[in-house]
Amino acid sequence: MSLVAEAFVSQIAAAEPWPENATLYQQLKGEQILLSDNAASLAVQAFLQMCNLPIKVVCRANAEYMSPSGKVPFIHVGNQVVSELGPIVQFVKAKGHSLSDGLDEVQKAEMKAYMELVNNMLLTAELYLQWCDEATVGEITHARYGSPYPWPLNHILAYQKQWEVRRKMKAIGWGKKTLDQVLEDVDQCCQALSQRLGTQPYFFNKQPTELDALVFGHLYTILTTQLTSDELSEKVKNYSNLLAFCRRIEQHYFEDRGKVLKKHSRWYF
Amino acid sequence: MAAPLELSCWGGGWGLPSVHSESLVVMAYAKFSGAPLKVNVIDNTWRGSRGDVPILTTEDNIVSQPAKILNFLRKQKYNADYELSARQGADTLAYIALLEEKLLPAVLHTFWVENDNYFTVTKPWFASRIPFPLSLILPGRMSKGALNRILLTRGEPPLYHLQEVEAQIYRDAKECLNLLSHRLGTSQFFFGDMPSTLDAYVFGFLAPLYKVRFPKVQLQEHLKQLSNLCRFCDDILNSYFRHSLGGKLAPLQLSFICVEYLHILLGLYKQNSLLIEEVCALSLNAGL
Repeated sequence: MSLVAEAFVSQIAAAEPWPENATLYQQLKGEQILLSDNAASLAVQAFLQMCNLPIKVVCRANAEYMSPSGKVPFIHVGNQVVSELGPIVQFVKAKGHSLSDGLDEVQKAEMKAYMELVNNMLLTAELYLQWCDEATVGEITHARYGSPYPWPLNHILAYQKQWEVRRKMKAIGWGKKTLDQVLEDVDQCCQALSQRLGTQPYFFNKQPTELDALVFGHLYTILTTQLTSDELSEKVKNYSNLLAFCRRIEQHYFEDRGKVLKKHSRWYF
Repeated sequence: MAAPLELSCWGGGWGLPSVHSESLVVMAYAKFSGAPLKVNVIDNTWRGSRGDVPILTTEDNIVSQPAKILNFLRKQKYNADYELSARQGADTLAYIALLEEKLLPAVLHTFWVENDNYFTVTKPWFASRIPFPLSLILPGRMSKGALNRILLTRGEPPLYHLQEVEAQIYRDAKECLNLLSHRLGTSQFFFGDMPSTLDAYVFGFLAPLYKVRFPKVQLQEHLKQLSNLCRFCDDILNSYFRHSLGGKLAPLQLSFICVEYLHILLGLYKQNSLLIEEVCALSLNAGL
């Protein structure tokens, strides 16, 4: 969005309170949605739960095309549509709800830095695994991505998306990485997150922030998604404080409020 | 450790040992960790490759990309992060990710995509250090690579437009600079008194932006307002890179520094700093 349009949207956002019928759109949960999109969607849901804002999740096959930026998830609030966690956090802040107001400048810098770390390493690793690893692409991704569409559209769309993602990987220097190097990076990222979390309940001690929502979204999805091999979730499981962190957020913000995240949750303890 | 470590990288200018961010990161880390590095500057002979610069060559290994080179140096016991706690190590990774996601697109744009800057400064500089006829092809390719990277990471498929993302990437870069400034505060380096990997990365990204003279300078102007980041770059340049900036000019440079300190003492710094800076820059350019 251009700067003028953004300022305009913020002004309108500030004028109205959060409505009851706000909806979040993502792809079809059972057959279509992929690991990275599921993680992003869960992060936004967790964030809104932490802000105590009601949201209804609606699954549509063409959610990616409905979104203003081409990325899921996006929320439809009043007569505005906002996509991706960053802009959604800004939008919610314009409406007067914020999780990071209590942080000082240095802590806010740290929070933004860690959010970029998750986007830079975890999200990119998820995309790599889904679209550049031949085994996963063949068995899972192609079938899932094109499932709502008839032949030959399902193949064409899947190949187009794969080509796009591979271009991006090459541009940022991940094109030549092997799967083992990518898993090494995931391990490094989880180690950094684990060391930052330490023994605290949330990353900035007592209260969760958008960083907690983002980390929860990605780690929970990695831990509970069936892939061709368990290597990715094994890397996360090495860090017990991260597992406890996910369990705590799942219990506190989802189960206690009557929302079931997954019908068959695979927890290994 | 006894084997000679050779680094081939792009050369310097405008008071910097290297104008290329990634080369500068490696050179700074080598200085901080005490690694004995022999620097081979790429010039316009056919010697050496220009592919994945910077490249570290030892007797049996060739390592490219800053992250891998730094890892290699650490394995050879040249570790600048020895004193850091585990949490500070985690913070390092996070801040490096912040630099790459938020600051790098705008730096690439300033150097390689903004037409005025690219055609008047960047292209002639790099072309003069690449042998003909590669000098006609390689800068163009580097520019396209930079544009590609910006569009693919920030633009929206399927019709990637530069105008939509330009304003956004400069805004993100300015925010990133503000965050770095808040984090640095008044301390000398990011983690106390000794420089570490994060200092090398920040220096590598900021110093070219700070020193190279461009026609279109919006990001540079913003950086110059953050005085603690400018002081950070100048401190590292003066402490770790002074002797490589033209030995024969060192006395001249020292005398100018003395004059500058005198002016600080007399409280005349504000008015005369521009003049002194210009003269220093001129003299260094003449010497180099």
